[in-house]
Amino acid sequence: MAFVEINGLVKRYGALSIFEGFDLKMEATDRLVLIGPSGCGKSTLLRCMMGLEDIAGGQISLGGKEYIEGAEAGKMRIDAKIQKDVGMVFQHYTLFPHLSVLGNLCLAPTRSRGMKKAIARDKAMELLQRFGLADRADFYPSQLSGGQKQRVAIARALMLDPKLMLFDEVTSALDPELVNEVENTMQDLANAGMPMMIVTHDMHFARNIATKVVFQERGKVIEAAAPDELFGNPQQERTRDFLRNVLHING
Amino acid sequence: MNYEFNWFYVQKSLPDLFDGLLVTLQLTLWANAIGLVFGFLVALGMMSKIKLITWPLTIYIEFFRCTPALIQLVWFFFCVPIIFNVWWSGYFMGILALGLNLAAFNAEAYRAAIQAIPHSHSDASVALGLNAFQRIIHVILPQALILALPVLITNGIGIFQQSALVALISVEDLMYQGRYISTQTFRPIETLTTVALIYFAVSFPVSQAVSYIERRTKRLLAN
Ligand SMILES: Nc1ncnc2c1ncn2[C@@H]1O[C@H](COP(=O)(O)OP(=O)(O)OP(=O)(O)O)[C@@H](O)[C@H]1O
Ligand SMILES: [Mg+2]
Repeated sequence: MAFVEINGLVKRYGALSIFEGFDLKMEATDRLVLIGPSGCGKSTLLRCMMGLEDIAGGQISLGGKEYIEGAEAGKMRIDAKIQKDVGMVFQHYTLFPHLSVLGNLCLAPTRSRGMKKAIARDKAMELLQRFGLADRADFYPSQLSGGQKQRVAIARALMLDPKLMLFDEVTSALDPELVNEVENTMQDLANAGMPMMIVTHDMHFARNIATKVVFQERGKVIEAAAPDELFGNPQQERTRDFLRNVLHING
Repeated sequence: MNYEFNWFYVQKSLPDLFDGLLVTLQLTLWANAIGLVFGFLVALGMMSKIKLITWPLTIYIEFFRCTPALIQLVWFFFCVPIIFNVWWSGYFMGILALGLNLAAFNAEAYRAAIQAIPHSHSDASVALGLNAFQRIIHVILPQALILALPVLITNGIGIFQQSALVALISVEDLMYQGRYISTQTFRPIETLTTVALIYFAVSFPVSQAVSYIERRTKRLLAN
């Protein structure tokens, strides 16, 4: 059994159908990058994995554990326990503005995991050190740059020791000159062996960080391959069209 | 005007006025305690999708916002004992009426603040494994408090002034003492001017602080 297995996922927003039986596999050594046209359901897929959305059917397993509960059709949701094993960083800044950087990092571990304050603090400082953000520990989010905010958000998710990290266009809201520091942090994390699912519009970054790239369109996987193959020698016509368009726009 | 000023009596009655001020401040603090806590709960209730919760709360809010504070106070003092067959002091009824009045206004301030918190914060809270209660206490409440703080303080200081109404139900607050002393000594101008100045001296710095606090909170919550 693969590390992540999504089988027959069905997701609808009212009458709008996003997935009608979506399948995806990922190994623990994988960094999976999802690409595809706007509105094809990349964010929705990550949100389903994170347990942020109700789903209408399907199975999701992580590390050999099934995470679907509630058999009633249309009312299924990923078991909230998956939130213990998965961390997510969003496109929008989601640091809590009333808490310092340290406060943001320590909130969930101390409140929902019962971690001792002093231990959480040490762990947070260690992470911030590693990210080169130790001198920002007592800053408030409003005093940070966008890139720093996103890196703190990554550190905040790592505080809970996730087995899988999800990134949904975490650099899209950033000024171009700040994109690098965030991508570098993600690359460091990848080098340390963290399994990741990444949604990005930055094809250059996708090619560098991915072990596997998935091109999806209209709720289906069109093509999935190693980055050099998918970008260098795409097999599907639709993949070629898509890449031609984005690479043309990206320059 | 052939009124001869005589501040001697005012000086003599200052201790009584300060006793009154103490009662006024107590009323204000208790009413604010109710207004801050109950107001937040009402605001949370108003966000519910269940009509059975939002309906009574809407009626409560609109009733207190659309009737004079004076009638609310007098109604509590005279009608609650008859309807519920209880007898509570004017002091207690004053706190209750002022507190509920303030909570109705604060609930609106909280509601606007809660709606201004980005929805993504609630996604992030779930992703961090915080349950609904932890999210309300540690993510929503503090942000709502900070966002609404300028309005909450303005409402709170308004209640400090409105509290003068309790003199009408014989609570010995600053207003009551002022009227009592002015009739006893026949020095209305000196006494009542002093009373007004005391109200002003407390309110003014607070209302000045609000714009400063507003600037600070805006900066903190800037994204
Ligand atoms: N809460 C919602 N209610 C209704 N429709 C939604 C909701 N969220 C997303 N959608 C719709 O579902 C579809 C897929 O959205 P999704 O955000 O997953 O796309 P995406 O692939 O992430 O696109 P993008 O690249 O623009 O971020 C879109 O058509 C979107 O309008
Ligand atoms: Mg998206």
